[in-house]
Amino acid sequence: MADQSFNLLHTLEPRRDSYGFALRPQHAQRYRQYANIYKEEEGERSDRWKDFLEQLVGHAQPCSSEKEHKEALQTEAAEQKLEINSERLGEGEDTSNKKSSTDGSSESDRETKASKVQTWAQIRSSLGVIENMMSSRVKKNKNIKDELITIGGEKNLQSIEKTGSLKASEEFEEEVCVNDVLIDSVNASIAENAEDGIYESKNSTGSEVIFGNGVSHNENSSMEEIAMDDGVSYSVNTGERKKPVNDGIYVSVDTIGVENAVSDGFYGSVNYIGAEKPVEDGFSFDPFFPWKEELESLVRGGVPKDLRGEVWQAFVGVKARRVERYYHDLLAQERNTNKNKENDDLSTAASKWKRQIEKDIPRTFPGHPALDENGRNSLRRLLLAYARHNPSVGYCQAMNFFAGLLLLLMPEENAFWALVGILDDYFEGYYTEEMIESQVDQLVFEELMRERFPKLVNHLDYLGVQVAWISGPWFLSIFMNMLPWESVLRVWDVLLYEENRVMLFRTALALMEFYGPALVTTKDAGDATTLLQSLAGSTFDSSQLVLTACMGFLAVTEARLEELREKHRPAVLVVVEERSKKGRVWKDSKGLATKLYSFKHDPGSLIEEKKTSKGGEMLAKGDKSHLERHSSNLDDLLDRLAVDPEVDSLPDLQEQVVWLKVELCRLLEEKRSAVLRAEELETALMEMVKQDNRRQLSARVEQLEQEVAHLQQALTDKKEQEAAMLKVLMRVEQEQKVTEDARICAERDAAAQKYAVHVLQEKYEKAMGSLAEMEKRVVMAESMLEATLQYQTGQVKAHCSPRALPNQGSTQENTRKSLLPFGLGWRDRNKSKPASAEEYSVSKSTNEPIDASTPQKRTSEQE
Amino acid sequence: MGCSSSLPDRSSGRLVGPNSENGGAPDSKNLRVKLVLLGDSGVGKSCIVLRFVRGQFDPTSKVTVGASFLSQTIALQDSTTVKFEIWDTAGQERYAALAPLYYRGAAVAVVVYDITSPESFSKAQYWVKELQKHGSPDIVMALVGNKADLHEKREVSVQEGIDYAEKNGMFFIETSAKTADNINQLFEEIAKRLPRPTAQ
Repeated sequence: MADQSFNLLHTLEPRRDSYGFALRPQHAQRYRQYANIYKEEEGERSDRWKDFLEQLVGHAQPCSSEKEHKEALQTEAAEQKLEINSERLGEGEDTSNKKSSTDGSSESDRETKASKVQTWAQIRSSLGVIENMMSSRVKKNKNIKDELITIGGEKNLQSIEKTGSLKASEEFEEEVCVNDVLIDSVNASIAENAEDGIYESKNSTGSEVIFGNGVSHNENSSMEEIAMDDGVSYSVNTGERKKPVNDGIYVSVDTIGVENAVSDGFYGSVNYIGAEKPVEDGFSFDPFFPWKEELESLVRGGVPKDLRGEVWQAFVGVKARRVERYYHDLLAQERNTNKNKENDDLSTAASKWKRQIEKDIPRTFPGHPALDENGRNSLRRLLLAYARHNPSVGYCQAMNFFAGLLLLLMPEENAFWALVGILDDYFEGYYTEEMIESQVDQLVFEELMRERFPKLVNHLDYLGVQVAWISGPWFLSIFMNMLPWESVLRVWDVLLYEENRVMLFRTALALMEFYGPALVTTKDAGDATTLLQSLAGSTFDSSQLVLTACMGFLAVTEARLEELREKHRPAVLVVVEERSKKGRVWKDSKGLATKLYSFKHDPGSLIEEKKTSKGGEMLAKGDKSHLERHSSNLDDLLDRLAVDPEVDSLPDLQEQVVWLKVELCRLLEEKRSAVLRAEELETALMEMVKQDNRRQLSARVEQLEQEVAHLQQALTDKKEQEAAMLKVLMRVEQEQKVTEDARICAERDAAAQKYAVHVLQEKYEKAMGSLAEMEKRVVMAESMLEATLQYQTGQVKAHCSPRALPNQGSTQENTRKSLLPFGLGWRDRNKSKPASAEEYSVSKSTNEPIDASTPQKRTSEQE
Repeated sequence: MGCSSSLPDRSSGRLVGPNSENGGAPDSKNLRVKLVLLGDSGVGKSCIVLRFVRGQFDPTSKVTVGASFLSQTIALQDSTTVKFEIWDTAGQERYAALAPLYYRGAAVAVVVYDITSPESFSKAQYWVKELQKHGSPDIVMALVGNKADLHEKREVSVQEGIDYAEKNGMFFIETSAKTADNINQLFEEIAKRLPRPTAQ
């Protein structure tokens, strides 16, 4: 029914999420954003789960193919019966039947189909393996508990016996409205006989319909389909138990959808308690579930919607917990008390619960489409049955939400057993009258917070915000109505899988990790609280939340929590004890004087003290503590009664009254002063805490100062370095200047030299010019000389002075000969190369003797 | 860092006295008040808060688990503002075990009963006694008879409420979260009765 209504809703109601829960208007937008992500994730995870389950079934098959075959036949047969029955039901007697079985549409899943008419349904067989692993831990617990039960003689057992005998007659009228029709109709022929004062039943049909009656002996009908009597069942049971060589095989046999085997580990274990060996499969099951790790990661990834109800049942071990008829008996008992109107203690408590439940039913997921008239009726039945089942808890606000959620996911009786599992095991001591474990958990959480987020907690302390103000409601509601629904369900997935409350802590720590940084910026208590509340309410990223919770806080384990709980529990117990004492004093004010008296005088008070402390211990131990406590209270009362006559027997009544008055005054005064002192101490403590904080801060400041000093040191070092660098730089600069100067000088020199060269060139040219002129002159002189020579020769021919003249002539010829080549050499040189002096000198040296040429050159230069 | 900077605030706040951290900030014009609502289950505590803070009334409101928080600021005629930090607690009897967590250090306690239920009235008396014992000594208490719109089903007379309130030095008012009758008056009246921190 759940799935179906969800699907309908998705299209019909924009103000509700896909689970049918109301959305806060401020979150509608963000929900829409995340709806697609959810859808995607959902697709992925349903594939992963499908693969996993297929693999699992494949894994289990080879071990027990034969058996499985047999069982498959069995279950098929049973299912056929179921369907027939359900059809019949649908036509005939359905008025009282709970949820609207409107569908009739194409629901391929037979289980869900059956569940629409039934109050109890098996989960699909593919989940059997998981269920088995999980239920083995239930068995373990139960075995231990059963021992207690058999020793203690638990009330519930008796009540079942009682109603059991009534049953035969009432069954047919009554059961109709309890929705047990199916089982009745199948079982119509089954006789119930009360033997040995113990209510027992024989199972006659296959697995699906019938379970061993929980209270006592039942046989394992996985072997046979026919009824067996009690004697046989023992042998069958023990035989079966011993047969398997190891547990792995035993488990895989169970797995394939035959549920019966489970029942023998359950209340059936009464059989074994004498026989010392029943817990075998509980302790060593780990090695035989190699896929456990994979399952864990799958669970952290989230359970697919359509599997969730069944997977949760498997986790909680619903089937292993179930006791046939127990639920119906509880309901029948309820009706009986209605008729009888007994007025004992329990029934006044019961009527209190009933009134509270009535108040709360319309306030549970108000407006949720699945919680119509029928839905509310089953919610009521469920809560009443639980209150009856565990009177030490009764009904506590918050349970209505859990029950409501479970009812949305599974049939009524399954929801009942799931609720029983969650409240009795996972949250034992949480919702009892004193809520002890809940308070302890808050202290534990606060310590974890201080350890993990010291800065944040410091800030909250400063604002005057106590972590427990906010985390208390988170824990008590298991995050329902505190986080968006997708996140709530994801947290529940892990929580139910882990079978303890670790996930509560981890999730809360993850939330603090997410929102701590924002919280640190708040300025007052109101802002901080509002912010945290609203941020938590918008934690739509469920995957991030769950992963951070699971991976980020691995150190938060059950063992560690248990250790911390042990540490903090005494403080809570003291307060609770104090409170309950005060409550008593306050309530029966007429007994006050007697009490004061006995407090002063009577050893009875000591007894009382002991008793209450014993009660406290019992509380600490948890289990069944309340019964003990009640009884100790009763003893108290008796004690007091016993004291009263003693008081009366004192000689002078008047005197006694006076004395009592005085005593009373004195005590009241003492009390007042004690209260004052306590307050003083508290303020002193607060001051000390604050001072302590200051000390921390001053330490911090010192540290910072040191750091600053370090930094300053570093700074001066740096400065020195810088100065040195500057010096070096300056030196370099100077050098640069020097070189620059040098360069300039050199340049100047170069210019001067150039100039000199230029001058030389000019001089050289002038010299050349003068040389050329001189050459001309030489040529002229030569021609003149020639002319003169010609003239002389002409004269000589004419005068003829033979002796003197030949000498003269020879010398003149010599000079002419010496001058001529010189002049020719110059001519040549000017024509060919003007430059190189060497060539020039060479040519000169070749043509002339050096002595002659150098003076010649000198003269030319000087010119 | 934030801690070191806020150190002076903290020590100055301490001077006012142990209750000052709840009684209000040192600023005498802007008060901050921690208020706690107590009373039997289903008398309409959450509805009163919702009416006051959001101006809404939802006949199908949810069960409060543990406690829930809302805050609202109002301005008075003398131009002071009062910021109410309201803790709305769960009504079921056993949650009383957790109530000290919320009323400890509260400057104001509003004890609510349902005028159609004598039982809730005696529960209110229980809370008053509890507060007298364990609450702050100078706590301002208000006794509120809610569901005044259901006068035809009335079972607790106005006089009973007035008498009890007077005897215990409380302020009394009958309200209706459904019709919004007297809801704002309730909080304004409380604000007026708050002890003002003397200017420093």
